[in-house]
Amino acid sequence: MFEAEVNPEDITSAEFVVAIPSYNEADSIAFPVQQADRGIESFFGNRKSVIINCDNNSDDGTKEIFLGIKTKTPKIYISTEPGVKGKGRNFRNLFQKIVNLEAKAVVVVDADLKSITPKWIKHLGEPLFQDFGYVAPLYVRHKYDGTITNSIAYPLTRSLYGRRVRQPIGGDFGFHGQLAQVYLKSDTWSEAVANFGIDIWMTTLAMNENVPICQAFMGRPKIHRAKDPGSDLGPMFRQVVGTIFEMMIKFCPFWSQVRWSKPTSIFGFGLGETEMPPPVKVNKETLFQKFQQGFKTCGHVWENVLQKETLNKLREVKKMNTDRFDFPTNLWINVLIDFAIGYRDKVWKEDELLDSLIPIYLGKTLSYVKKTERMSIRESEEFIEEECVQFEASKSLLVQVWNKGA
Amino acid sequence: MAKILVVDDEEHIRLLYSEELSEAGYEVITAADGHKLIERIETEKPDLVVLDIKMVDYNGLDLLQEIRNKFYNMPVILCTAYDTFKEDIKSIAADFYVIKSFDLTELKKKIATALETHIPSS
Repeated sequence: MFEAEVNPEDITSAEFVVAIPSYNEADSIAFPVQQADRGIESFFGNRKSVIINCDNNSDDGTKEIFLGIKTKTPKIYISTEPGVKGKGRNFRNLFQKIVNLEAKAVVVVDADLKSITPKWIKHLGEPLFQDFGYVAPLYVRHKYDGTITNSIAYPLTRSLYGRRVRQPIGGDFGFHGQLAQVYLKSDTWSEAVANFGIDIWMTTLAMNENVPICQAFMGRPKIHRAKDPGSDLGPMFRQVVGTIFEMMIKFCPFWSQVRWSKPTSIFGFGLGETEMPPPVKVNKETLFQKFQQGFKTCGHVWENVLQKETLNKLREVKKMNTDRFDFPTNLWINVLIDFAIGYRDKVWKEDELLDSLIPIYLGKTLSYVKKTERMSIRESEEFIEEECVQFEASKSLLVQVWNKGA
Repeated sequence: MAKILVVDDEEHIRLLYSEELSEAGYEVITAADGHKLIERIETEKPDLVVLDIKMVDYNGLDLLQEIRNKFYNMPVILCTAYDTFKEDIKSIAADFYVIKSFDLTELKKKIATALETHIPSS
């Protein structure tokens, strides 16, 4: 029998909420719930708290596992209607619940986390009781984990909105309860946001609201179900990138005035030397093949989206074999600018346009993998920082081209 | 005229920076350590802080954190003799860093960029 909410202890108000969104996470949800409970008990014991599982009516027993875990903190289970999926829809239910509970601070953690400790709850939650309204995570990830973040989400949000938030789609973060109202009232909600676009949407709105943002150092790497960047992309890529482009249209008056970027405060030092994340395997040959195939399958779209010079440069990159393959950062920046403008001007069917960016992104990823192959994680971070500076330096070009076509 | 606060425990560095940055058109004030630095920033309201990382009694990275938490948007440029400080995650709260040198070209460039940075209020 479907129940939209199960609230065994009849909780009607809470100061602090830890939320865990899920869809079919029966195998993994117990661990983050237990860690969250310990974190609440150790660091927020004096605050009225609750753990909420916001679920897509999973059919694998996620609800039963969640409610069955023994915790000192009360729990609430909320769900979308049967058949209604999407991470963002889980969040929409969560926002409403936060408003109803009149919660002051909310920490969200992924249900598939294997490396979460009670201190993650402290570090994501404590700044919200100080001056901060949004807390993004700062953890060590393997250099090939989170390539959409590294190549698109981080450099674009940083150069557009001027805030250096290293993990804008990290999945684990904190926000002030008042932001839930902002999210509920925003007129930028879309189908993409209702799905995997939710993380970048929340971060971007927080930046545009000028909410004080800090990054919380988690002290342990994010260990979860990491994926080979060459596989399983489709909808997630479309939803994240589509949301970024959508927000660019909406918030153009803001970002076109932003010059360069500012760092954010860091919260949570002194956790000792960071542990290294497990390696993420990348199949370079698959990346290369998919990039090459893109010319056959998406060439007709690119001809309508990309500037002639950009397309010509892309064709030059195509001629390179895997050994000397190199996708220059400036070319990648120009591709993203052309796609953002093509998206705004609706030069091609939205989904097909976004899908056609995937082979180019895989080519850029292959280049990144090759360039950072012998680098340590720290060195690859410096490489990404240098790319971000190039994004920022190209900002005036973006503003110029964007305004010209508007 | 933008006001720059130079925090460094070496007197010759303070003198060098004062002279060169004044010539470049900035108003320069200096501090020899991190003692009452936050109060100093509150009263003197500099537009930017140039901060030495390794001082005898103070860790520049800890001072950076104090500054960042109190003055959310204050541009801070870290100066260091070695780039090993990058191993400390606290360093990313700085706008920029420069390796200490008697040639201040790089520092001046970074100062100009940091002062040019603009994020409008929503």
